[in-house]
Amino acid sequence: MGVGERAPGSEAEIVFELPVERGKVREFALAVAEDNPIHYYVEEARKRGLPDIVAPPTFTVTQMWQVPREERERRLGANLAYERVLHGEQEFFYQRLPVAGEVLTGRMRIASDISKQGRRGGVMRVVTYESVFTDASGAEVLRALYTLMELPPP
Amino acid sequence: MSVPSDLRLEDVFSGMELSEVVFGPVERADIVRYAGAAGDFNPIHIDDAYAQGAGAPTAFAMGMLPAGYLAHAVSDWFGGPQHLRRFRVRFLTRVWPGDEIVCWGRVDEVEGRFVKVRFEADRRGPGPRELELPEREPALSGDADVEPA
Repeated sequence: MGVGERAPGSEAEIVFELPVERGKVREFALAVAEDNPIHYYVEEARKRGLPDIVAPPTFTVTQMWQVPREERERRLGANLAYERVLHGEQEFFYQRLPVAGEVLTGRMRIASDISKQGRRGGVMRVVTYESVFTDASGAEVLRALYTLMELPPP
Repeated sequence: MSVPSDLRLEDVFSGMELSEVVFGPVERADIVRYAGAAGDFNPIHIDDAYAQGAGAPTAFAMGMLPAGYLAHAVSDWFGGPQHLRRFRVRFLTRVWPGDEIVCWGRVDEVEGRFVKVRFEADRRGPGPRELELPEREPALSGDADVEPA
């Protein structure tokens, strides 16, 4: 696993808070057309043994509100040419779903940065950001891998 | 739209086909709503002029919007999102305003309490006229590990 050149002054990881608020959970659930009541109604969540409404599986993408792309770029220093970047892949590993009312701690880093021959010639870069989310007790809740592909220059 | 099934582990077998779930059509308002909810304000998804400057005929959806639909479909197939242990998607092509998202999948194997499943989300719709896209094509593919009740 190679790690590409980093911009000078870049940091190894970004630590941030991800508050899991009821209103935000409902807003996100609506945006992904969720109709499962455990994302909306506390009573319904409790009936299923959950302490409060839970976030949909892809909810932690809202980390973009906490660490916008510009900040991520500046602090982790991947030096990506965003006019040629595509979102290639996304993966989540769950211990459990985030529960409304808690504040998760996220730790984001560049997990891998490789260059490979593009299918249409030129060199393509594949950068994977890993974010690990832990709860107040320090236990892992979930882990997200966000993979960007930088296409070769035209 | 769908509701969580009450599927239990003993009902699951390898090769089992999962019932199709259709979302959309994806409207511009859905894209804007997702942009706000997620905090993804890349103008390529909301501003036609910007998208055209980047070589696309119109703005198009962020991949995580249909990925969110797909996570919803997989959750419902197996009794709710609490049963997901891993979920992965690959983005194959862009999703355009007006596209429906057709989610379908199949159980790969059952290993103890865990079920491995593969799935796809197809875009279905005319797409921008300039691109002469097929009426239906795979937009996302993925796989997941779930632990049904």
